[in-house]
Amino acid sequence: MRHPWRTSIAALALLALPFLGSGARAGLPEALSETVLPGHAAFTAATAALNEAARADCRPETLRPSWNAAFDAWMGISHLRLGPAETDGRALAIAFWPDPKGSGARTQARLLEAADPALLEPERFAEVSVAARGLFALERLLYDPALASEPACALTRATAADLARMAVELETDWRESFAPLMLSAGAPGNDRFLTEAEARQALFTQLMTGLEFTADQRLGRPLGTFDRPRPERAEARLSGRSQRNVELSLAALERLALALAPDSPRTREGFERARSQAAALDDPRFEGAADPSRRLRIEILQQRLHALRDQLAAEVGGALGVSVGFNAADGD
Amino acid sequence: MATRRHVLAGLIASAMSRPSWADAGSPAFLSAARLPSGAFALFGLTEAGATVFTIPLPARGHAAAAHPTRAEAVAFARRPGTYALVIACASGTLRARLTPPEGRQFNGHGAYSADGAVLYTSEVVAESSAGIVGLWDTAGWHRLGEFSSGGVGPHELRRLPGSEVLVVANGGIQTDPQDRSQLNLETMRSNLSYLSPDGALLEQAELPEELRQNSIRHLALAGDGTVAFAMQWEGDPAEPVPLLGLHRRGEALRLCPPREEDLFAMRGYAGSIARSGGLIALTSPRGGVVQLFTAEGAPVAGHARPDACGVAPVAGGFVVTDGGGAVTRLTREGFAPLARAAAAWDNHLVRI
Repeated sequence: MRHPWRTSIAALALLALPFLGSGARAGLPEALSETVLPGHAAFTAATAALNEAARADCRPETLRPSWNAAFDAWMGISHLRLGPAETDGRALAIAFWPDPKGSGARTQARLLEAADPALLEPERFAEVSVAARGLFALERLLYDPALASEPACALTRATAADLARMAVELETDWRESFAPLMLSAGAPGNDRFLTEAEARQALFTQLMTGLEFTADQRLGRPLGTFDRPRPERAEARLSGRSQRNVELSLAALERLALALAPDSPRTREGFERARSQAAALDDPRFEGAADPSRRLRIEILQQRLHALRDQLAAEVGGALGVSVGFNAADGD
Repeated sequence: MATRRHVLAGLIASAMSRPSWADAGSPAFLSAARLPSGAFALFGLTEAGATVFTIPLPARGHAAAAHPTRAEAVAFARRPGTYALVIACASGTLRARLTPPEGRQFNGHGAYSADGAVLYTSEVVAESSAGIVGLWDTAGWHRLGEFSSGGVGPHELRRLPGSEVLVVANGGIQTDPQDRSQLNLETMRSNLSYLSPDGALLEQAELPEELRQNSIRHLALAGDGTVAFAMQWEGDPAEPVPLLGLHRRGEALRLCPPREEDLFAMRGYAGSIARSGGLIALTSPRGGVVQLFTAEGAPVAGHARPDACGVAPVAGGFVVTDGGGAVTRLTREGFAPLARAAAAWDNHLVRI
């Protein structure tokens, strides 16, 4: 599908320049230049390095460090699920989790069984289900005994190359198209962001949704219920990154929040406490979700994130003059 | 309070004459909104999104029903609703205020009979959420009676085109009568019920067991009686489920998933639905997106618009309203701005 914002980009990029630094856009240019764009550049670099490494040597044990570096970089931007991240389902294809039915692993097993090099050509592979691509597909190839023992080198390389390609496209779209579009919010011809408030609200919404995702999915899925804890549902548990992803996501959300609204002491303090609580869990795969004595600490962190969400709404939302949408907040 | 005095003054001023829609400045749409003051109002809007009239509402509104011929509309309170206001749209005055009987609550939607003589209201028994259709005489505005909606927690209710048969989206969710908290998500079961004007259950369609937690809530009807329905998923947000379905009496339900890359774009929540020409539009304020499908339910496109919810047909496409106050035109290609009001448009844009 063609996205309408791609067509008028050149004109809008020119329009955007005089607005940079304007007080009326408080926070938005800073958030883009200090967190969003550098975060995407770092992800491009990390996935390029992973791709290079895979081409040189595709054995799981040698690829794991560069895969982890790429995942670390993704955690810096994984909460940005708008515009270029939605094009062609990129964010889903980069990190398809949760996958409760295991559809990614099934598709990968079929690809391995087919052993058809044509399916792994870049154009064909880009059409493979989003569930069977990206970081979690590579995690299974590098850590899952069921897949890592297979002669899976070709699939590993195809997946790493596809990931690096998506990272470049994502970064390019942000830098050349979508960031200028946000900065020209309200300008004639900008039908994506009709007012400056809409652009500010768009990033604010990513912040709030990102925090909810970490609280309700990254922590909530392994927690399950007290009577039925589900540690096996933790994110990236094969590689033992579950707790690390929570810590990195909180750090990324903190950077975005403070770039949008630097004068936010309660937000700053709230993130600091949440991050130190997360670091103190010492539970890489959230196995403690099923251990009554350790479970409580995960629950307390989740409650802190819910409280932090309210603080963000008041302090950052207040500074930006925006809130979660009237209809989005309270549907029927 | 000012709002209430307004409403009462309007009631007293209510005229004997019954002007037609042309006298109301020919509004094309009705929408409830929240004003910057925090008060609530019903707006009449032109096709270009210009405000024709504004009428204060005593509390947050939801949807409205337009009389088939008279310049009259009934604005429904948001669930659990304690009021429905019959409004003479030409003069912006109140014709009547409907209050549900003891132990009943309005659920935000309603529909007129083909001749406009009867108003059907979507209601629940407050204590149990058992679905009720209330019947009101539109000449004297007294209650004629009620019958079962065929399910729990009915939401939108429509009359099939060229027929007196009602179709009700029984959302299946039992809610607390005070705070709207959901009480039966583990056992809920939504359905689409077809009812005769005297309450006989003519036909009922249910979703397959694995989609039991999909709540059928809003409806858009085609001239041939095909019902397009919009759903809200109450199950695991990690499960990608279709939020659009199609049904025609005597046939099986058809579910219409989006393209794979858009599986989670709506965040499991469709707020409103409309059809125009060969297209169906499904809005998601939570996803900040409107998805377009063909009349047969094949995905066409998705376009971003923050907090978009209200949607109604115009020639060649749709008009969409959002919580930021924008009124926009949507076609297959995307959005174009029409107008903006200092109002947060509420869930529904109702075509008159």
